Amino acid sequence: MSSIALVGNPNTGKTSLFNTLTSSYEYVGNWAGVTVEKKVGSLKNGAGKLIDLPGIYSLHPLSRDEGVAAQYLIEETPEALINIVDASQLERNLLLTLQLLEYGKPIVLGLNMIDVANARGIQVNPEVLQAQLGITVLPLIARTGKGSSQVLSALEKPANIRPVSFQLDYGELVEEAILSITNKLQQIAGLPNLRWVSLQLMEQNPVVLELLKKRMDTSELMLICDACQTKLQQQKLALTLPQWIRSIRMDHIRSVCAAAIDATKQKPHNLTERLDSILTHRFLGLPLFIVFMYAMFKTTFDWVGGPLSDLVDGFIGGPLSDGANSLLQTIGASGFTHALIVDGIIGGVGGVLVFVPQIFILFLMISFLEDSGYMARVCLLMDSTMERMGLNGKAFIPFIIGFGCNVPAIMAARSIEQPKDRMLTTLLLPLMSCSARLPVYLLFAAVFFPAQQATAVLAMYVMGVVFALILCKLFSKHLFKNESSIFIIELPPYRMPQFKTLGRSTWEKGKGFLRKAGTIILAGSVIIWLMSYAGPSGFNVEMDNSFLAKFGGLIAPLLQPLGFGTWQAGSTLVPGFLAKEVVVSTMNIIYHAPDSAGLEGQIASVFTPLSSVSFMAFILLYIPCLATVGVIKKETASWKWTFFSMGYSLVLAYAVSLVIFQGGRLLGWS
Amino acid sequence: MASASCSLLRLQPGSTGSIYRIEGMNPILRRRLADLGVSEGVMIRLKGKGPFMGPITLECNGQLFAIRRKEASMIEVKVS
Repeated sequence: MSSIALVGNPNTGKTSLFNTLTSSYEYVGNWAGVTVEKKVGSLKNGAGKLIDLPGIYSLHPLSRDEGVAAQYLIEETPEALINIVDASQLERNLLLTLQLLEYGKPIVLGLNMIDVANARGIQVNPEVLQAQLGITVLPLIARTGKGSSQVLSALEKPANIRPVSFQLDYGELVEEAILSITNKLQQIAGLPNLRWVSLQLMEQNPVVLELLKKRMDTSELMLICDACQTKLQQQKLALTLPQWIRSIRMDHIRSVCAAAIDATKQKPHNLTERLDSILTHRFLGLPLFIVFMYAMFKTTFDWVGGPLSDLVDGFIGGPLSDGANSLLQTIGASGFTHALIVDGIIGGVGGVLVFVPQIFILFLMISFLEDSGYMARVCLLMDSTMERMGLNGKAFIPFIIGFGCNVPAIMAARSIEQPKDRMLTTLLLPLMSCSARLPVYLLFAAVFFPAQQATAVLAMYVMGVVFALILCKLFSKHLFKNESSIFIIELPPYRMPQFKTLGRSTWEKGKGFLRKAGTIILAGSVIIWLMSYAGPSGFNVEMDNSFLAKFGGLIAPLLQPLGFGTWQAGSTLVPGFLAKEVVVSTMNIIYHAPDSAGLEGQIASVFTPLSSVSFMAFILLYIPCLATVGVIKKETASWKWTFFSMGYSLVLAYAVSLVIFQGGRLLGWS
Repeated sequence: MASASCSLLRLQPGSTGSIYRIEGMNPILRRRLADLGVSEGVMIRLKGKGPFMGPITLECNGQLFAIRRKEASMIEVKVS
């Protein structure tokens, strides 16, 4: 099996191309010692595997994402590369292309978005480009799939792709230095193209330097680079070596573009201009964004998601439970099996499956915002607020994704350039109400605030955001002193997301939830049911005498001041740490509720409106779930920060719930 | 024709200048700008200024992007 890597700048349509070229689709994590998310798919024609690397501007990494791509090219050896470039942004895109050409592997250039370029009056001549670069250039419209069959057939046999023999002349001084560096590198086995490694070293690519340091003493190499740089300065050619290399490349790119592009009829981006004049308007922008968010929540919970969830609930509580009941009776199942299946499994897992429609709708809308190009504008709008809190606007995207699930959100924080901003975002992300906490809010809101469900749920989300902002200010002041944050964001032109791509990314995000329902929630439900079924005195005991009650009773006194000092509430918290989805299924089992109406009735009698708010706040803030803790550990590579994130959230949750409950009582609420 | 150089921030929204000098900028940001093709001699257009002293939107080589005002003030442009 051969592997082919898909490389290109961000927003050039790599994912669209990846989706059209591959049939199966998988995420591969944990690669080469760091958590990495590179997507691997099988090529439709069976020619091998296609690897989708994160979007990069150059091989010199700034953010963690870019580090992944650079490291891949250095440490693994793909058989061939597909470099996808945006035809309307060719000049900028070619900088990466040149670095890839120097890499020396067979490469196919996918000239994407020729329709967009044409619409803007930019004509790119693929034949001229092909002649200028010496590689196969295939015009593409990845969004519609046009041209992808040509790419597939070009990849049929990677061995048939023309090998590259591209070499730029960097001038006498630099060429001399390259020669002496390659001589020194010859003693090390397993390096890719030596000229490429030398050039990357001269550009001070940290990944290359790191790799070489592990294998040899690099001080001599650095001396060569320094000497070369000094000579460049003496001759007044450039201030630094990387600058010189870049300028040589830019000169070459300009000459390539001058030959291959006709931009005489270039027009401005009309749709984007018009939309931006409204959506990023200095006064209208933010209010509009808030309106969109409100509409998003309304759609998820009231307009579409709610009714769909009711349908699912009706099915599980009605036909499914009844069917299972009568089936079990017919086959004469024992009381234990019967209770296990109906109360444990259907009650537990079913209670969570009810929320699947809402979660998928939320993910669908988040994907829409990402793909349309609006998300980048949101970062822009939010930057001044975020900056005041000590972060940058780019952290806003992970925070929004965090509403879906904290795990991919923490991974999304990788696109942030600065380590400090990345760490802060990672630490604060668990305060975003993920979809797993949503069932809890929905349940309590339905019981205690039926008239203002969406508002009540939204209030919990806002509470998380407010605490995130406050803590952000606090942490950035006291934990990360003297580190300023920077902000730069590319604003892609607006486009209508493709239905297929939307579906696929929604599914990718949401399937984790379904998988959890089948594994951890199923297992959790069974264990909790068993603990409620069994007690010190044997099986089928009264719930109040069960192991679960005993266990919850241990925690209950601690929770007394918060307003929910019952063993029932206490025993939901521990499985809730494993996965917050389990909280509601635990309640289903504890309260023996056949459907949500039954559970709601039970809860109405146990909680008061005030204690329900206190409980929701606790569920929102206390300890991130196990999966999130795992990702925090991987991304921060530090136990200290991992425990810190668990500790501060627990303290925060306790303090906030205490203030809510005791404060509310002082005000005379119940 | 005399052309004066001034901070990019002084441009009127919608108007264009050519970059004359970039000085004192955070090196990470400087590199990222270079990746986007923003360097001396290139034409740059101020598209708009964000709310609450937020970032300003710029266009360079047909690419839209945004940076903060503080940083934008380090880009000097020539208006002819």
